Amino acid sequence: MAEIAGVVLAGGRSSRMGAPKAGLEWHGSTLLRRVTGILARGLDGPVLVVRAPGQPLPPLPAGVEVLQDPSEGNGPLQGIAVALTVLADRAYSAFVCSTDLPLLHPAFVRRVTRDSDAADVVLPVVGGHRQPLAACYRTSLADAAARLVAADRLRPAYLFDGARVVHLDESDLLADPALRRADPELDSVAGVNTPADYRAARDRPAPSVTVQRFGVLASGSESGDRTVRAASLGAAAAAVGVVLDRHVLAALNGDQMSRDPEVPLVDGDVVTFLSADAGG
Amino acid sequence: MADTTPGGYFGRALVVDVGDGSSRVLPLPESVLRNYLGGVGLGTWLLHELGPAGADPLAPESPLALVFSPLVGTPLTTSAKFAVVAKSPLTGMLTDALASSHFAISGKLTGHDALVLVGRAERPSVLSVHGSTALLHDARAEWGRSAADAEATIRARLGGGWQVASIGSAGERGVRYATISHDGRHAGRGGLGAVMGAKNLKALAVHAATKVAAADPAGMLAAARDLRARSLGRATEKVRELGTMANVLAYNALSTLPTRNFQQGSFEAAAQLAPGELAAARSVVKSSCASCSIGCAHAYRRKGSSGKGVRLEYQNVSALGTMCGVSDLESVLAASARCDELSIDTISAGGTIAWAMECAEGGLIDAPWLRFGDGDALLRALDEIGSGTGIGRLLALGSRAAAAVVGQGSLAFAAQVKGLELPGYEPRTMQAMALGMAVNARGADHNRSGAYEADLSGELDRLRGAEPHVLAAVESEDRAAIMDSMILCSFLRGVFDEPFAEWAALLASVTGWDLDATELRATAQRIVLAKRAYNLREGWQPADDWLPERFLSQELTMASGRTASLTPQRLRSMIDGYYAVRGLDPHGRPTHSAATT
Repeated sequence: MAEIAGVVLAGGRSSRMGAPKAGLEWHGSTLLRRVTGILARGLDGPVLVVRAPGQPLPPLPAGVEVLQDPSEGNGPLQGIAVALTVLADRAYSAFVCSTDLPLLHPAFVRRVTRDSDAADVVLPVVGGHRQPLAACYRTSLADAAARLVAADRLRPAYLFDGARVVHLDESDLLADPALRRADPELDSVAGVNTPADYRAARDRPAPSVTVQRFGVLASGSESGDRTVRAASLGAAAAAVGVVLDRHVLAALNGDQMSRDPEVPLVDGDVVTFLSADAGG
Repeated sequence: MADTTPGGYFGRALVVDVGDGSSRVLPLPESVLRNYLGGVGLGTWLLHELGPAGADPLAPESPLALVFSPLVGTPLTTSAKFAVVAKSPLTGMLTDALASSHFAISGKLTGHDALVLVGRAERPSVLSVHGSTALLHDARAEWGRSAADAEATIRARLGGGWQVASIGSAGERGVRYATISHDGRHAGRGGLGAVMGAKNLKALAVHAATKVAAADPAGMLAAARDLRARSLGRATEKVRELGTMANVLAYNALSTLPTRNFQQGSFEAAAQLAPGELAAARSVVKSSCASCSIGCAHAYRRKGSSGKGVRLEYQNVSALGTMCGVSDLESVLAASARCDELSIDTISAGGTIAWAMECAEGGLIDAPWLRFGDGDALLRALDEIGSGTGIGRLLALGSRAAAAVVGQGSLAFAAQVKGLELPGYEPRTMQAMALGMAVNARGADHNRSGAYEADLSGELDRLRGAEPHVLAAVESEDRAAIMDSMILCSFLRGVFDEPFAEWAALLASVTGWDLDATELRATAQRIVLAKRAYNLREGWQPADDWLPERFLSQELTMASGRTASLTPQRLRSMIDGYYAVRGLDPHGRPTHSAATT
């Protein structure tokens, strides 16, 4: 067991948004689908979603586990307690975030979790604000979190008392070259709480990604790299006229393979399309 | 054909002692044919029956079996293939290799489901088989010639209608990865050419003498038309359009392209060896195997040459190019041509030379001229392997045996399993394939285990081997066992939606058997276990199901910057899972219940 899991807290009333944030459209996908995909890209461990009791969720990729808060209205600490309890014997730590971070970048997730060995909580501080819903928690905090919820002490900050907390301010975070390159403004923690927030984020240009095509997908004038704007694998495929079916799949940054069109993309990604029919 | 013989079969093998030219017919009961089908399955059964336990692979009594199948000779696309099965001089275990050509059809139509050769001829000879007549002919004039030359002269000597499978000079010299070739196609892996050479046999010539009927000719013809149409669909588009070379750039981007003896997983000059670059610089000649509608073969002309060109496969390029760090296209083409002339396996040749290059650069062997990236050194090494001179004497043994001679820790980076050099798939970034190569009976092999397909499917995490990888490796091995036994080309894999059920229907139309997918799955398991049982009989040990230390102790930096690692614990866990799924005991030995399936 050496993994770091990912947890998305999908509950919450979304009262200022006026609509459940989890299901908000995001470039042909949903906000929750995007955030779970970003965590899967940034972490080696399982990805969990914690929802409110009975809360409907948009479709999620295979492998994402869904948990449920035991009661409504207890805030994020309850979700943290539920997730850490389930993960206690499966992962040492978990990156926990809310569902309203459409600009979350895998490089941010990796930077925060990199210090997980040194602390019970790795807590980013951006713009002078602590970010408990974009932070990394030791799963051994599960009992403490559950006790706080039982005592009706529902603010995540209570969990920091008595815990070893490493704070990462902007300079700490941006000292990481990968994060500095990928997300220099630390938009990863820019939550969308209101319709105006959402519209502003949604109106931003889709990520700029490089597309490569190999094999028969690269014949003739269609060979060579191309830069396109695409927030998902499906959008990148469409931009270069590739159909993601059983005969085609993609590699993301030369790493994992997928043909799921909703896999989220971020600035700087390299998407490689190739024939799925291997052999030789 | 006797009344009880199923369609597509003759129900007999011809066993020829090339020591005195005598022959006998070995009846093949229907139960054996149904349990092992043909090809590598039937070949494995024949080795159990006819191969003395513990015999040296190069001893006269060790059999060399050329095995056909019920589909050979039918219009089913890609079915004109034969399997060659023997105890390998490279691994000391079972090896089986397939080749495609008209030899398969003529060999079967001698009236036998297999031709088995034992003994040792007094002088270099050719064995001819026409019907049940087996004759030995003097081949001293052909000895020392390339397989292609020998094939031509023997056909000229015997007259029309003969097909000839021959060895090159490497087989004569006992190079442990020598091949048997016909019409430019090779039964390539495991040193079958050395087994033939040890019998003083330059070639086997066959002449059709009879016919064989399918049980349901109309049904078989309909199936053949359907399969041909499907063979021209998108599932084979890549190999039809670009050949297997289409893998080079894609695998490079995925860090699965073995480079400099697996010290890296991508090659900075891969583009120079990619099909687009090749096509721009050379004229390309496409061709097909006999009875094949796919046409994966792509030959590239060398500078100043106007001949048929040199066939280049992905495996040639990875073994002779990237594994040796050679980016010069002309050198890779020349090296491929040299391997063809000598009739040696390009994968083992390249893998062994790459190991030697690393040894030389590390000062473990005295060959200062042998350096990664040096195309001339690559060609010199091949020449010395072929002539049995200089360092060639050592390299002719293959990397495992050569490492045993050199010592000094060099076995840790000899990229082989059971003595068979790894094909062009990096196990740290393809962990289903890592398992497939570790446990396969033939050794590190991409034909009997195509688990790389699962790694590249997007369905599992190729960097973190676990239970899904075990299931994928078992499934891949089972599919290969059937395809290589019935026989169809593995490039047809993608055209089947329900492979076992569809294969059962194909076989049923030819044989008349009432087959279904369940029975074929049991057949696959039987064949896989029969190979394992043969190896066990010949001295297999649990430690033989393992990967070289390099892959388990050194992380691989991927092009993405991520590191890929395969720990001994993870490999052990996958192997244990494989044993459990296969019904083996914890040490990898067939249990009574598994062995009697």
